[in-house]
Amino acid sequence: MTAPQTTAGNAASNDSRLRLVPRLGLRARVILAFSVGALLLALVLSGLVLGVTRTNLLNQREANAVVRVSTNANIVRSSIGPDADTINLLASLQTPEGSRPIVFQRALAADDGSCGSGWSAQDPEFSCETLPPEIRETVLAGAPAKMRFVDRNDTKSLVVGTPVADIDGAYFEIVSLNSLDDTLSSISFTLFGASIATVLAGAAFGWYSARQILRPLNEVGGAARSLAGGDLDARIRGLVDPDLEPIITSFNGMADALEARIEKDAQFASDVSHELRSPLMTLQASIEVLDNNRADLSERAQSALDLLAEDLDRFRELVEDLLEISRFDAGVMHLDLDEVLLSQFVGHAVHSAGFDTPVVIDEDVVIDDEFGDIVTALDKRRVARVVANLLTNASKYADGPTAVHVTADDENVRIMVDDAGEGVPEEDRTRIFERFNRAGQASRRGTGTGVGLGLALVDEHVRLHDGRVVVGDAPGGGARFTVELPRVELDHDQDGEP
Amino acid sequence: MGDVATRILTVEDDERIRTAVKLALEDEGWNVAEADTGEVALESFQREPTDVVLIDIMLPGIDGFEVCRSIRRISDVPIVMVTARADTHDVVAGLEAGADDYLTKPFAPKELSARIRALLRRTRASEPGHAHLRFGDLELIPDEGVVKRDDEEVHLTKTEFRLLTELASSPGRVFSREVLLERVWGYGYFGDGRLVDVHIRRLRTKIEADPANPKHVVTVRGLGYKLQA
Repeated sequence: MTAPQTTAGNAASNDSRLRLVPRLGLRARVILAFSVGALLLALVLSGLVLGVTRTNLLNQREANAVVRVSTNANIVRSSIGPDADTINLLASLQTPEGSRPIVFQRALAADDGSCGSGWSAQDPEFSCETLPPEIRETVLAGAPAKMRFVDRNDTKSLVVGTPVADIDGAYFEIVSLNSLDDTLSSISFTLFGASIATVLAGAAFGWYSARQILRPLNEVGGAARSLAGGDLDARIRGLVDPDLEPIITSFNGMADALEARIEKDAQFASDVSHELRSPLMTLQASIEVLDNNRADLSERAQSALDLLAEDLDRFRELVEDLLEISRFDAGVMHLDLDEVLLSQFVGHAVHSAGFDTPVVIDEDVVIDDEFGDIVTALDKRRVARVVANLLTNASKYADGPTAVHVTADDENVRIMVDDAGEGVPEEDRTRIFERFNRAGQASRRGTGTGVGLGLALVDEHVRLHDGRVVVGDAPGGGARFTVELPRVELDHDQDGEP
Repeated sequence: MGDVATRILTVEDDERIRTAVKLALEDEGWNVAEADTGEVALESFQREPTDVVLIDIMLPGIDGFEVCRSIRRISDVPIVMVTARADTHDVVAGLEAGADDYLTKPFAPKELSARIRALLRRTRASEPGHAHLRFGDLELIPDEGVVKRDDEEVHLTKTEFRLLTELASSPGRVFSREVLLERVWGYGYFGDGRLVDVHIRRLRTKIEADPANPKHVVTVRGLGYKLQA
């Protein structure tokens, strides 16, 4: 017992060490990986799209501005004169919204290029002072130029200038890039939305993939669970995937081997018991013939016959129990449910087991008024065996049964067998239902023959009903075996069975 | 039993069992004829009048079910089946092949004697009283052991007849399976309800116009069966 406990302790400390780093499940990890991947992808793509769009838009804007400026410069050159209304001329030029023309005429300038006379601007807000000095100098020196700058109002702008030789001046246009920023921010907003959608899609895809990956694992787990639960036919079916072929093959192979092994064991027990039945039959009939003619026997022979008859009975019971339990092992059991009045049924069961223990319906029980008893469906033969085995157990090991209580609520019915013994010690309360277990038997009374399979069969019969059996303390001392069975109602047809 | 001539045919391939059972039954005062195969059994049955047949289902050659069906085609003699175990389809199959009752191996010969006595009692005794009973298209004459549907005689086995007579003793009253088991088969509370169910099914195929939708032998939810007109 010590060794497994140590192992369990180590496992526990390993676990707690691992827990310092949060352990995510496979599903969570796959979803996380897909989400992060999608996020990175979305970020890179958004950045690229934004950058490329921005560059393209700027270039296009610039190119447009350059073409327009040269067109407008031509108009200015041909129309401008000392007498012309420069402001009106500038206003008449084809300029898009947010584009402000400025013109410089050296002839009208007081000195060389500095802001003041000689400069005309359509919009007084965007005049010579707005222009960055570098471009002013470059253009006035005779070279067309363009540059981006930030004006006094913190507005990103582009200025394109070209010298107009004929009038010995220059033409500039200041183009606000604010609308471009609006466009770009709306694009980035869209891209942000798209990124979120991508991450969500990534997570969803991750979830789906995780499910796809885990589905076979779940199937394997389910099959293993069914197998452990006693369904020996459980196999992995419906998974057709070359990648999973090895695991499916080995799992099903294992299940086959397990099934064959268990079936062989069960078959052996069953075969032995079956083989024993024919000689038993002969023995039983022969002993009965001897018993019918016991008057012909001497007293000594009669005693021997009685011994023989008693042990034959015990032997027959054991063989029957073995047969019964081997049927449980083979998993070929089925319930044959009949509706009964519970306390009446238990009364019959007690009586037919050869006992006269009183059967008591507990007060405040949900009774079906129509019958004045608890109505439920159960397998009569099996539950009668359960009651008989519990009574026999009580009489063999615990000074006999004292009472059988019957009680019920909406979900369950309970049959409780109390005895007058010393009770069952805590540590034996599970073991007592194991096969051939003689827990605490040495200290208990009896002829030393043992019921061997009696309580194990009780457990099997009860579990077949989806119920359970436990042993505890009876209120008046002694042990109380409680059998709990689900309360079942049957459906009936007119032409069927009642 | 009084009748010296009561003859029981046991069909069993294991010679030791057959001999032991024969000895035990002879102690009851019955004549016992033995057969080790179905073929021998059928031949013996046709040669000599037999009161009860005991058939082990596991036989070499033609099996117990077939022996049972063959006998049933020519006779309504009471048949007891011996099956390997109680919780298989063997029991229902045996009953459907025409057996009146069954035992599982190993059984006590005393139990077998009790079954045989119950079968003999009801094949012998047909209490006088109800001279003539009529339920719609169904007519029952207990004293003559005759049942007619639409004035045509229906052939029932003795157990089926006894079951019908029992139901007809209080028309409209619901008989639980336990009561029918006790009255017809002589079993206590823990008799096998399938005996009743299979016999009711067989009875319906013979006396109902539409056995799937019975008008006479009706199931009463949770309680049992009743006979109505």
